Amino acid sequence: MTGTLATTLAPEIGLFVLAVVVLLIGVIQRGDQKRVVGWITGIGLLGVLGSTLRLVEGGSVGDGMFVNDGLAIFAKQLLLGAGVISILGSLTLGHASFSRRSAEYHFALLASLLGMMALVSARDLLLFFVAFELMSIPLYVLTGFLKRDEATSEAALKFFLVGTVSAAFIVYGISFIYGVTGSTAIDTIPRALAEGQPLTWLGMGLMLVGLAFKIAAFPFHMWVPDVYEAATTPFVAWLAVAPKAAGFVAIIRLYVAGSSASDTWLPVIVALAGVTTVAGNLMAIPQRNIKRLLAYSGVAHIGYMLIGLAALSDSGVAMVLFYLVAYLFGNMGAFMVVEAVARSERSEGIDAYAGLAQRSPLLALAMLIFLLSLGGIPFVAGFWAKLYLFLAAAEKGLYGLVFLGAVLTVVALYYYLLVARRMYIDAPVCSDRVRVPGLLGAAIATCAAGVVGIGVYPAPWVDLVKRVASALF
Amino acid sequence: MGLQAYLVLSAVVFCLGLFGVITRRNTIGILLGVELMLNAVNINLVAFGRFRGDLAGLVFPVFAIAITVAEAALGLAIVILLFRVRRTVMADHLDLLRG
Repeated sequence: MTGTLATTLAPEIGLFVLAVVVLLIGVIQRGDQKRVVGWITGIGLLGVLGSTLRLVEGGSVGDGMFVNDGLAIFAKQLLLGAGVISILGSLTLGHASFSRRSAEYHFALLASLLGMMALVSARDLLLFFVAFELMSIPLYVLTGFLKRDEATSEAALKFFLVGTVSAAFIVYGISFIYGVTGSTAIDTIPRALAEGQPLTWLGMGLMLVGLAFKIAAFPFHMWVPDVYEAATTPFVAWLAVAPKAAGFVAIIRLYVAGSSASDTWLPVIVALAGVTTVAGNLMAIPQRNIKRLLAYSGVAHIGYMLIGLAALSDSGVAMVLFYLVAYLFGNMGAFMVVEAVARSERSEGIDAYAGLAQRSPLLALAMLIFLLSLGGIPFVAGFWAKLYLFLAAAEKGLYGLVFLGAVLTVVALYYYLLVARRMYIDAPVCSDRVRVPGLLGAAIATCAAGVVGIGVYPAPWVDLVKRVASALF
Repeated sequence: MGLQAYLVLSAVVFCLGLFGVITRRNTIGILLGVELMLNAVNINLVAFGRFRGDLAGLVFPVFAIAITVAEAALGLAIVILLFRVRRTVMADHLDLLRG
C-alpha cells in the first residue's frame, strides 16, 4: 500500500520543521538560548518519534525512491530514541560557548538526524548519496563545536578528511553502478551483479570501503578514538550509535537483503568482522582514557555486528538489529556516566573512577551495569545480544568467527572489569559525592532501564527484530 | 573517443587525488586531493550519462558538485579554525590526540 506524501514523510517533515524552528530561535534570541532550544529539540524529537509509530509499512514516495519498510521504520525509531537520550544529556552541558551557540548545535544535530532518516529509507543511489552527505557534514561541525579547544579542531579535521575521502569512495562506486545498470535504483543492483559485470563489482567494492569508514570497521577506524576523546560527551554518545546504525542499515540493504549474489560478499565481510573484533578489543586494553577505551571497544562491537551480518541470513540481520538496540542503551549509558564523572572530576582518565562505589553507589552501579552489558554478562541486554548473534552465525556454520568472538569477549571483560575494579575495590581519592544534574541522571536511568529491561525480558524485542528482518529475504 | 578513455581519465584523476591525500603534509594540499577525487566521480558520471543517453548521469553531478562545495567550505573553515588556535596547517604537527 502506498500512503500519501504527507503520511509517508511525516517524521521527516516534522524533523525538518523542527530544525528550521530551532535555527530561527537561534537567529532571534540573543544571549543564553540553551534552555529553550534544548527543550524544544527534545520535546520535538519525542513528537517525531511518536509520529513514526503511526507510519504504514510499505509506504513509498517518488516511484520507490523512498520506502518505509519495516527495517526503515525500526531504524528511524532507534535513531530518534538515541537522539532524545543524547539531548537529555546535553541539556545540562556547562560550556559558555555551548550556551551561546546552542541553536547551532541542535540545528546541526537535527540536520544530521534528517540525513540518517532519509538514508535508511533510500532506495535510489542519488537519494542515498545526498542523505549520506546530509548525515555526515553536520557531524564534522558538531565534532569541532568547541572551537577554542585545540584538540577539538584537530579531531574535527581528522574526522572531516577521513569522512570526505570515504564519501568520495562511495560516490565513485555509485558512478560505476550507475554506468552498468543505467539507472540509479538500488533494486537493479542484484540483477547487474548476477550478470557478472566486473564494473559492478568494482562499484560495490568501492562503496563497501566507504561504508566501512562510516561504521568504523578496522582498518578504517583511525578517526574514532580521536574524535571521541575531543568532542563533547553527549554528542559522542550519539555519534557512537546513530551513524553506525544508519551505516549498518545501508550495508544490509546493499549487500545482504534479497541479493542473490550476496554469498560472494561472505569472505569480505568475514575478514572485516574478524580483524575488527580482534583489533578493537586488543587496542582497548592499554587505554588510560575512558572515552578512548569506549571508542576502541565500540570498534570491537562493530566487529561483533559484522559477525552477525556475515551469517547473511534473516536471523543474522535480526540479531544485528537487536545488538544495535542493546549497544544503544549500554554504550550511551556508559558515555553519560563518563559525562557525569568528567563534570565533577574534570578528568576523563580511568583513574578518576577510583572508589566511585563509595562516593556515589548508584552511579557506580549504573556504570557497572553498562559495562557488564557491553561485556556480555547474563541478565543484561548485551548478553542476549551476543548469544543470539553467535547462534545466528553458528547456524550458518561460521564456527571460526563465533569461536574468535567468544574468546575476545573474555578479553573485553578484562578491560571492562579493570574499570569496575577501580570503582569497587580501589580507595577513593576524595569522599564527596559526584554531583549528577537531574536531566543527565534521567538519561542514565533511561539507559539503565533499557539495559536491565531487555536483559530480563528480551522476548518482545527479539520478536520485533525477527519480524523486521524476515520481510527482507 | 570511446567511453573507455573517459573512464581511464577519471581513474587516473581519482588515483592522483588519493595519492595527494596520502602523501601531502599540508592540510590544504590534502583538501585539494579530496577535490580531485570527487571531480573524477563527476567525469565518470557525465561520461556514462552521455554514452547511455540518460539524463540521470547529467543530473547527478549537479547534486554532487553542490555537496562537494559545501564540504570544501567546511573543510577550509576547519583548517582556518585550526590555524587560529594552533598556528599551523601541517598534518605532522597535529599530534595532540594519540594512543
